[in-house]
Amino acid sequence: MSDNPIRSPILKLRNVRRRFLLGETTIDALHSVSLDIHAGEFLAVWGPSGSGKTTLMNIIGLIDSPTEGQVHFEEQDTRILADDALTEFRAQKIGFVFQNFNLVPVLSALENVMLPLQIQGAAEHTLRQRAATALVDVGLERFKNSLPDKLSGGQRQRVAIARALVVDPKLVIADEPTANLDSENSRMIIDLMREMNRARHVTFVFTTHDPRLLDHVDRKILLRDGSVESDEVMA
Amino acid sequence: MNTFKLALRGLTRNRRRSLVTLLAIALGFSAITLFAGYTHNVYSGLTRQSIHGELLGHLTLSKRGMNKEGKLDPERYLLTASEAERITALLKDEPHVVLIAPRLALSGLISNGRASTIFVAEAIEPAAMERLQQDILTDAELESGMYDNVRKKLDPAHMEVVEVSEGLVDILHLSVGGQAAVLTNTLTGQANALDITVGHTFNTGNAGSNDKFAFFSLDLARNLLDAEGRADRLTILLDDERQTLATRDRLLTRLKIAGFDVEIQTWQELSSFYNQVHGMFDMIFGFIFLIVLTVVLMSVANSMGMTVVERTREIGTLRAIGLKRRGVVRLFTTESMLLTLIGCTAGLLITLGVRWGINAANVSYVPPNSVSPVPLLVDMDTGRTLFTFMLMGVVGTLAAYLPARRAAKKAIIDALGHV
Repeated sequence: MSDNPIRSPILKLRNVRRRFLLGETTIDALHSVSLDIHAGEFLAVWGPSGSGKTTLMNIIGLIDSPTEGQVHFEEQDTRILADDALTEFRAQKIGFVFQNFNLVPVLSALENVMLPLQIQGAAEHTLRQRAATALVDVGLERFKNSLPDKLSGGQRQRVAIARALVVDPKLVIADEPTANLDSENSRMIIDLMREMNRARHVTFVFTTHDPRLLDHVDRKILLRDGSVESDEVMA
Repeated sequence: MNTFKLALRGLTRNRRRSLVTLLAIALGFSAITLFAGYTHNVYSGLTRQSIHGELLGHLTLSKRGMNKEGKLDPERYLLTASEAERITALLKDEPHVVLIAPRLALSGLISNGRASTIFVAEAIEPAAMERLQQDILTDAELESGMYDNVRKKLDPAHMEVVEVSEGLVDILHLSVGGQAAVLTNTLTGQANALDITVGHTFNTGNAGSNDKFAFFSLDLARNLLDAEGRADRLTILLDDERQTLATRDRLLTRLKIAGFDVEIQTWQELSSFYNQVHGMFDMIFGFIFLIVLTVVLMSVANSMGMTVVERTREIGTLRAIGLKRRGVVRLFTTESMLLTLIGCTAGLLITLGVRWGINAANVSYVPPNSVSPVPLLVDMDTGRTLFTFMLMGVVGTLAAYLPARRAAKKAIIDALGHV
């Protein structure tokens, strides 16, 4: 942690509860979760399937709202933001890496990385350059014109990481980014995220159910049955 | 976001579906525009036929009441020689007026010496007849060779030489150069007969009139009716059909100021056949248009509905990384608009190809109530083609609006979890 100075919390969750209604059954996916995420952290949320990891990530990523409790992102109470404002907020401050990569299949690697910038309305002459640089950062400059189906799983996830980072977000959310990868690629993806975290001081929060990937994290939160069972800052 | 590019690429995802939808749009567009082109040709042909073929001219001037009461009291409603001359002098300097021709209608019996039958005749000066028919054929019709015999002609030097319809010639076993006698009542009700010579035969194009119709020179008719210098109406020819209504209004004003109590009818008001055909084709066009539009709407809505469902996870991803709800709606409506516009463009190419093929094939057909074939020709109706293009574009775009809006409203986590 010495080379990655921890600053004040960028995200604060207070007594967050998330309840889903499935037919006539109510499911409490999260029970009164409170935690702070600090700028520059490399944080893993882990636990068994059904423990609430994805629900927690959705709430941290501001793509879902808690049934109860508060979520503050850089002191902004996200509950008061209307959908358009929340969308803009997300576009500027949060990057996403998905388990299934979620790349647009008809766009090349470069165009996929350009997408968040285009959504933000960045000038055409700068967004291409920024996207190309992001691809260089993840080691895929040779594949910039390749469509996703011509890339391996590991390469696709690297494109997804470049897409998440191209907007210079404060926080990157990666929900099970290695679930569809073999162990070697999984390790490479985690190493790449760690490298980006250190180089850019971007906060990374990712989920995994694989304890072998937790070696190099700053902090790991064990979630079980929707509650934080342990929150461990690594030495 | 470059919505246009993304939408265009989106169309290539499920090529078969896009192609089927595109084909439905293209064929629908082509069906509409080809029918519009056909009716345009029919309207234009009927317009020329009415104005130049039936010798209606653009405007017909008569004494007020002539059309209702003139048959029973012709003496009262015929223009006198003095009236006809004064009106002609007054109107001859009017812009767009190229001809003012006095006319008379008459009927009676025609006999070959052994048998008699009724006839109905229109009388006009030979020179006026020639001028009225000047623009009767298009270049394409001239080239088709199907109308070589269409122009009617009277002999200015011999008023007894008349044009007789083919059916009437057949009934009386006459031939060109043959003699006959015509018997009519004069304006005062006296019987009057004169010899005529068949100078030329013609086909009226209508089974109901082809066995009784004839064209006489005005002098012959005036002699038969004992109506020296008189006319039941004046036929006015203009240099531009689009000026018909404006000219009518202007002439009426001038004539009213000059003290004439007259009425002026346009060729459209007089040509009931034109109006009937126009009304029928307009109704058929509207019906086809509505059906095709419904097919296009359903095809695009169905295609875009499936597309939206298939791409729900992608919508969730785009929403997560910052695309607003209206951006999602814009993306899919743009895709739908592109699909429709490409389909319409393809349809336009089909129309041009089929139109060329039809026009080059020299196909002819006999229309209802007609005795002679007419060529099947398809025009390019630019106005209705543009209208169809725009309306289909709008309908195609709107067809995607509802499914796109539904997708945009979906919660992001539900969209991302969509399988």
